[in-house]
Amino acid sequence: MVGDFAVGKTSLTQKFVNNVFSDKYLTTVGVKIDTADVSDTKLVVWDVAGRDALSPINAAYLAGAAGIVLVGDGTRPETIKSFAEIWQTVSGKLGDVPVVVALNKRDVDGWEVTDDLLQTSIQSSWAVFETSAKDGSNVPELFAALVDRINC
Amino acid sequence: MSQIDELREILVGGNAQEIAELRERLENLDQRTRDVAEVLAPAIGEGISKDDQLIEAFKAPVSQSLKSAIRTEPDSYAEILYPVMAPAIRRSISQAISSMLVTINQTIASATSKEGLQLRFEAWRAGVPYGQLALRRSLIYRVEHIYLIDRESGMMVTEYTKAETSILDSDAVSAMFTAIQSFVQDSFSQSEDDRLTDLKVGEYNVWVAHGSKLMLAAVIDGDPPESLKFEMYDVLDGIQSDYAQQIADFDGDNEAFGEVSGRLEPLLQLRAREEPDAEADGAQSQDEPQTPGTRKVLLIAAAAIIALVALYFWAVAANQRLVTETMLAQTPGLAISNVSWEGDKLRVEGLRDPDAEIPFAKLAAHGVTEADLEFATVPFRSLQPAMEMTRLQGELQPPSSLTMHPLEGRISVAGTAPVTWLMQHDARLRQLAMEKRIDYSQLHADTATVLDYIIANYSQALPARQSELLAQLGHQPWHKVPAKTVLQLK
Repeated sequence: MVGDFAVGKTSLTQKFVNNVFSDKYLTTVGVKIDTADVSDTKLVVWDVAGRDALSPINAAYLAGAAGIVLVGDGTRPETIKSFAEIWQTVSGKLGDVPVVVALNKRDVDGWEVTDDLLQTSIQSSWAVFETSAKDGSNVPELFAALVDRINC
Repeated sequence: MSQIDELREILVGGNAQEIAELRERLENLDQRTRDVAEVLAPAIGEGISKDDQLIEAFKAPVSQSLKSAIRTEPDSYAEILYPVMAPAIRRSISQAISSMLVTINQTIASATSKEGLQLRFEAWRAGVPYGQLALRRSLIYRVEHIYLIDRESGMMVTEYTKAETSILDSDAVSAMFTAIQSFVQDSFSQSEDDRLTDLKVGEYNVWVAHGSKLMLAAVIDGDPPESLKFEMYDVLDGIQSDYAQQIADFDGDNEAFGEVSGRLEPLLQLRAREEPDAEADGAQSQDEPQTPGTRKVLLIAAAAIIALVALYFWAVAANQRLVTETMLAQTPGLAISNVSWEGDKLRVEGLRDPDAEIPFAKLAAHGVTEADLEFATVPFRSLQPAMEMTRLQGELQPPSSLTMHPLEGRISVAGTAPVTWLMQHDARLRQLAMEKRIDYSQLHADTATVLDYIIANYSQALPARQSELLAQLGHQPWHKVPAKTVLQLK
């Protein structure tokens, strides 16, 4: 799980793994690890601390990853624009791995995802889901798609 | 010589001989074998020193040959391997046994001590089984979980654990180890060689051995000896060299590593608390298995056995004394005041009639023999009816027509007796009656014997005198016959 600060990586993971959601924001330090079973595949989810201009993603946490969930905040376009930079780090470390994109916080007012933004920030091979960690919409689909792509 | 031969002679000249020899060498199999044998050893040496290709080429056939040879001659190979394997197996078994012994001793010792009771209380309060708490307290360390982790991906290759302690998701733990590793390395060091090797969480130590591709993490309850690290590295190096290809191909599917967990098993060791001078070496503790705990238990057991034996003998002795006292008290002619053990003899105090019959046969049935008894009695004459009866019967030798039985503190002598017997014992009967020892008011002379007596002694007397004698002796109780008459008749 990679993306900018406060886009909802931990919330998506917790919703998916434990089916819980909390409004409190707790920043992730380093990485948090959870596991979940998707059909007959066991996912070990590395919820990596969010990045910003001053703190890039720690590439060490990407080592050995079989797939990536790129998470952006649909109410903050800049978090989607930064996919390019994140992808540079990820592909530098892992090469062309399966990617699914979560445009999160679909339940919150002020959705600012435009076609133009999608065209410029998202590669055609990536599967995109508009998700809500709060109501859980598209969360299982997001991880199921990732597993499908990994197992292909 | 043909033209062709001439031409050949011109072209190759003197070399024709050499060519023929070379051909001969190539076509002659024996010669060729000798040639190859000459260069084979140096060629192999050269090939190995050059690169790994030759080793790779040899690997499969050598391995196959070995397998086939072992299958054909298992005994020979067992003989060769025995000196290498046997000590290792022995050592492993002795270590396991000694660890178990020490733990059991410790647990027994703690169960019987003050600390043991305290532990029981704690176990009850905490709601955990006593055995679990006792074992945990008695251990210096126990390796509870071993993880073999792919360094690159953080994915777990395999694990080995004590079933009851497996409460965590191994995949998550493996990933976390790797993450912590990355975090620490990233935060504190830029060098690839600086790695996190030790972690301490509460009472748990986590030791990590790092290999080029894998890392081996051991979760240990307590403080293990440094030697465990060497063992971890030995195991890790062995796995990395034997599974090099599988490790290189590892993509999260750990099927190829199914047998690796067996190699981790020896690391899942434990060591119990023992004497400070007792070595970790299992052999030594096996030589001296008696810890203070064992000695204490043995002492308690011995004392208990001694106490039981003593209690048994005491009970037997007390019973013998009681039985003797009871039986003697019931014996006519004895008035017992005290029966007590004096050394190995039962001392009987009181009064004893010389005619009293001690029931030795009955006493022998209770293990009291005549030799066990020591009488410290004062002689006396018992007037108990039974004694009187015995004594009178011995003295008077009564005829069978007489009956004797106790009556109101005396002996009643009743019935008919020959007049001769009455006249013989008349004085004694009267004396006994005066002493109130007998009552003979129901004693009569047998009339027929009186008549016989009169005929025998008074046939010349007047019939009136005969009638008087008959009336005096035969027609009234004997005690009414005047003593003077009896004396005269005699």
